[in-house]
Amino acid sequence: MADNIEAIQKSIKWYLIIGGILILASGATVWLSYVELPTHSLNILVGMILATIKATLVALIFMHLNHERSLIYKILLFTVVLVVVLFALFIFSHEDPLVFKGMYAPVEQQ
Amino acid sequence: MDIPYTVHARPDTGLYNAKIGIWLFLASEVMLFGGLFSAYIFLRVGADYPWPVHDLDVTLGFINTVVLIASSVTVVMAWAMLKLRKFGWYRINMAITVICAGLFMYNKSLEYRAKFAHYAVKLTDGTMLTGHLPHGYQVKFEGATEFNLSVPLKTSAVTADPIGYVLPFIEGTAPKFKTEGGQEITLDEASFKALSAEAVKKAAAANKGTASIKLIATAPIKFAVKPSEIFAYTDTTITFRDGTTATGKLTDDKMTIEVDGVDARGVVQSEKSLAFDHRYLGEAWQKAFVANRDHHITKFEKDYPTRDKTRSATLQKESLFFKLNSAEPPAEGAAHGNAHGAEAHAPAGGHGEAHAHHPTVVLDKKDFTFFSNFTPKLNTYYAIYFTLTGLHGLHVVAGALVLLYFLAFDGKRLRQDPEHLANRVEVGGLFWHFVDLVWIFLFPLLYLL
Amino acid sequence: MSAAATTHDHAHDHSHDDHAHGHHEQSFVWKYIFSTDHKTIGLQYGLTGLLFLLFGFFLMLLMRWSIAYPGVPVPAVEVIRHLPLIGDLFEQMFGRWLNADGSLNGELYNMLGAMHGTIMVFFGIVPLGFAAFGNFVMPLQIGTIDMAFPRLNMMSYWFFFISCVLMMYSFFVGTGPVQTGWTMYSPLASTTNIGVTSIWSHGHMWWLMAMVFNISASLLGSVNFIATIINLRTKGMAWMKMPFFCWAMFVTAFLLLLAFPPLEVAAILQLSDRVFGSSFYLPSGLMEGGKHLDISGGGSPLLYQHLFWFLAHPEVYVLILPAFAILTDIIPCNARRPLWGYKSMVYSVLTLGFLSFLVWAHHMYLTGMGTMMSTYFQITTVLISVPSVVLLTCLMVSLWGGSIRFNTQMLFASAFLPMFGIGGLTGLPLAFSFIDLAMHDTYYVIGHFHYVVAPGTIFALFAGVYHWFPKFTGRFMSDKLGKLHFWPSLIGMNLVFAPMFIQGMAGFHRRWYDGGKYFENTSGMSHWSTTLTHKIGAFFGFNIPDNMLSLNIVMSIGAFILALGQVPFIINFWFSIKGGKKITNDNPWDATTMEWATPTPPPHGNFLFDPVAHRGPYEYSVPGHTTDFYPQWESEPGKPDLKALAEKAQAHH
Repeated sequence: MADNIEAIQKSIKWYLIIGGILILASGATVWLSYVELPTHSLNILVGMILATIKATLVALIFMHLNHERSLIYKILLFTVVLVVVLFALFIFSHEDPLVFKGMYAPVEQQ
Repeated sequence: MDIPYTVHARPDTGLYNAKIGIWLFLASEVMLFGGLFSAYIFLRVGADYPWPVHDLDVTLGFINTVVLIASSVTVVMAWAMLKLRKFGWYRINMAITVICAGLFMYNKSLEYRAKFAHYAVKLTDGTMLTGHLPHGYQVKFEGATEFNLSVPLKTSAVTADPIGYVLPFIEGTAPKFKTEGGQEITLDEASFKALSAEAVKKAAAANKGTASIKLIATAPIKFAVKPSEIFAYTDTTITFRDGTTATGKLTDDKMTIEVDGVDARGVVQSEKSLAFDHRYLGEAWQKAFVANRDHHITKFEKDYPTRDKTRSATLQKESLFFKLNSAEPPAEGAAHGNAHGAEAHAPAGGHGEAHAHHPTVVLDKKDFTFFSNFTPKLNTYYAIYFTLTGLHGLHVVAGALVLLYFLAFDGKRLRQDPEHLANRVEVGGLFWHFVDLVWIFLFPLLYLL
Repeated sequence: MSAAATTHDHAHDHSHDDHAHGHHEQSFVWKYIFSTDHKTIGLQYGLTGLLFLLFGFFLMLLMRWSIAYPGVPVPAVEVIRHLPLIGDLFEQMFGRWLNADGSLNGELYNMLGAMHGTIMVFFGIVPLGFAAFGNFVMPLQIGTIDMAFPRLNMMSYWFFFISCVLMMYSFFVGTGPVQTGWTMYSPLASTTNIGVTSIWSHGHMWWLMAMVFNISASLLGSVNFIATIINLRTKGMAWMKMPFFCWAMFVTAFLLLLAFPPLEVAAILQLSDRVFGSSFYLPSGLMEGGKHLDISGGGSPLLYQHLFWFLAHPEVYVLILPAFAILTDIIPCNARRPLWGYKSMVYSVLTLGFLSFLVWAHHMYLTGMGTMMSTYFQITTVLISVPSVVLLTCLMVSLWGGSIRFNTQMLFASAFLPMFGIGGLTGLPLAFSFIDLAMHDTYYVIGHFHYVVAPGTIFALFAGVYHWFPKFTGRFMSDKLGKLHFWPSLIGMNLVFAPMFIQGMAGFHRRWYDGGKYFENTSGMSHWSTTLTHKIGAFFGFNIPDNMLSLNIVMSIGAFILALGQVPFIINFWFSIKGGKKITNDNPWDATTMEWATPTPPPHGNFLFDPVAHRGPYEYSVPGHTTDFYPQWESEPGKPDLKALAEKAQAHH
């Protein structure tokens, strides 16, 4: 955080605004979850996008990541990459696009 | 000889020690919750049952979301006020944060308690019945007189301990027991110790690995015991968790349940679910179920004419998970009220009266394969729900304690070294924001989607 | 010679002590038990780790007996049983599981196997390599007075200590310790011995709780390490002037920090399966003993393996990187040559650290996790061998043209290089799923990773003990006893682990408690090595069969030699504390890194002057310099930073 007094005084207003936005966004998430989108996966996607936006706001404004030292970014970048790897591979272990279907695939009856 | 950079930042990194420490700790926390969320993905993608959606109390969850966001605002305000040296405002904001944490945990406890009191039973055909067990579920056994206890000579996982694992389940008071030597004893800690010591001595002399003790009750004993508290039972024997076996007669292992929901999603022909057997809910409820199901299907066809009915999880749930909100089946033709009730069951604390609104069914043991209250045992959804929210709750408690410590016991630092305290509050606040951040993902994943 | 050679004991001059206990004279408890001093904590970790290494080794000896001589009573078992105290302990921990005639059975073998793995990895090598050496040496090398969070450091040791107690306690509970391998795969681990009177009499519960504490300790420790390295480097200690030791510890700490949480998750979920009856790892329709278990099902055993190996692969680098760290100090110092390729080593270790997170599922080719997954993991696994080879090569080339001092630590260090090489190269075939399918769970795999961690890491740890012992105590360890320790260890290690490759390729499975006696189709074949064994045996009048089983006997003899080889070390270690040759100055090895600039043993606060890093850490045999080493802290040739020393002294008096 910029440690001078004015910057902090200015950011106080922002904290309250962001808090309000977060509560509104939470309300929106609840409402959207009851809307029947074409597939439920779409509901999940929308909900997760909203959650990510909220989380980003918290991280940027409340956790002061909008102006942090480069070292912290490096640590977090590394961590986030690993989490993504963890998620992605867990999903791939269910949805394997390379399943070999050639030789022994059942011949469809005409 | 002080550790450098505890208060002021090191010039080249621009950070003080604790800030690096907390960010590293948060990185590991990201991995912890990352692991849990990936477990969630794994379990959800691989689930072989309909994943519960909107099953929890959304209102309570939303209130908790607001509470946490508010506390997040106040904790960062507390830090800013401390930086501006407005100590009064700092204290107020900090206090609100801690109070919010308390409120959050209180709501959580309401939610948990409701879950513990609510049960689900899986019938042999895949139907799930949800409801309350007014008397719990106990297996009843009577006429037990002969008891066989075995005490292994070496430390072992199963060792006779009738005081802890047999006597508590006796209905009424325990009678006296006759030993093999013909002695009549009252079974208690001391007498059992003497008895087993003697048997062990005898077994050691005979070079046997296990000492066995036989006890005959002077009067037949009745047992009422939860199945989870014993190893096994048959029509004539019962095996307690300490390895003690007793012979007698099984009188009752039926389950009495006040049904508040029939989930027929696991049944091929939903109207022929075992739940509507004439011994159980019967034909009238079946009609209500079918009416409700068809009502939702028609409504869906009208609202979304182009969509595939079989692929809508919401429709599946609305049409096949039937909520019973009255003790008697509704009159024929009336569409049963089954709107978006987040909680199928009555709210916690509303026992007694609420139960009158549900039909009571007595299930045969052979008709159900599995039952549990809404705890981790019920299915992987509730398992991950309790694990995630439980661990998150632990973080809330830990974070609140730390903040409370700053508020209540760091007054000296506040007066003498407010800059250091501001650093501490910033670090504590970072942790608190992280807890909030986790909840931002938890809430939609568990409550809404 | 060095600044610190002018040893005044400054330890008691510091009236303003930073720590929780501000006493002038610390009482014994505060000084040695609940100490916040990084050196004391390092020693605590080191001694605990050494004890556990010994204990894990003892478990291995019992296993080897059963493999070589199945059904034969353990030697001297009756004698041990009748010893006072030890006899009772032995009876509770092992004796109650032995057959009536005193021979081992499969149940005890499984316990020994699981506990050997757990103890060696989590309670032996990591505490000794990372926590002990890291704690003791790293703050000294970067020239600081202590870790960034001293009290956290103490807490992490005590968390670790609690986990040790819980783990040892599992030997005494009803079911005995876990029997399901150190990997603790569900559903087997979650469902064995479900029928217990109380869940607390189950070893698995204690294992899991011990692991939760152990992991928490590691997390706290690694936060401390990283924060210290980032923020407490002394003046002039730029990142690229930092000894490689600290780099390796830095990366290791990151591995622990980010890889351990998923294991914590795995342990918590398994604990939940055990205590609350949930089904995280239990698939639907799971049966045991012909009965459906009382579970909901719907979970996945694969989930456990993913979470487990997400830790456990980085974990093997946690085991090996401290070894590299130690060697990069010992080899340049004793070859009197700079470390070759310092920068490439640093970049390699960073790459290694990152890649180590992306290879975990090569332990899971056999699970049927999907072809795309295994393709991906084959590629990353082959990739990760590149930085490992760079590290090893740099160490080897560092020897080139050096005037090598073959003292004990250098012997261990130079033995490490080929041993680790064997371990690493035999790992390459296993990276490919089609070979791994055949080799999975055979002794080939056991041989591979034991070559990496036993003659690899453990040799490096021994080297470290010999190297820094003078700094701990002010006395040398005996070189003669050291050599008596080294040669039997080298021979023993190779006798134990080399035959494993042969047996493994013949198809020997790791969980055969009888060593393959009842699998005649596998064990009945002969090979030149078995013929050789047979003939050597015949020469000495022993009847050793000419088939694969003979190698079991070779390995067990190797283990026995290894055991004998440790006796000189134990004697050397304890007797040298009081009776070793005294050092004549604070830098007995003529080394260049900063830990040798402190008085011996380093007092509370470490340095008598404000150390400044004037140059890189490996300035040996610098052309034109008067001595063959040029320490980091010397401002000009041969002279300590006298100005800084004077200022420091003035500030204190």
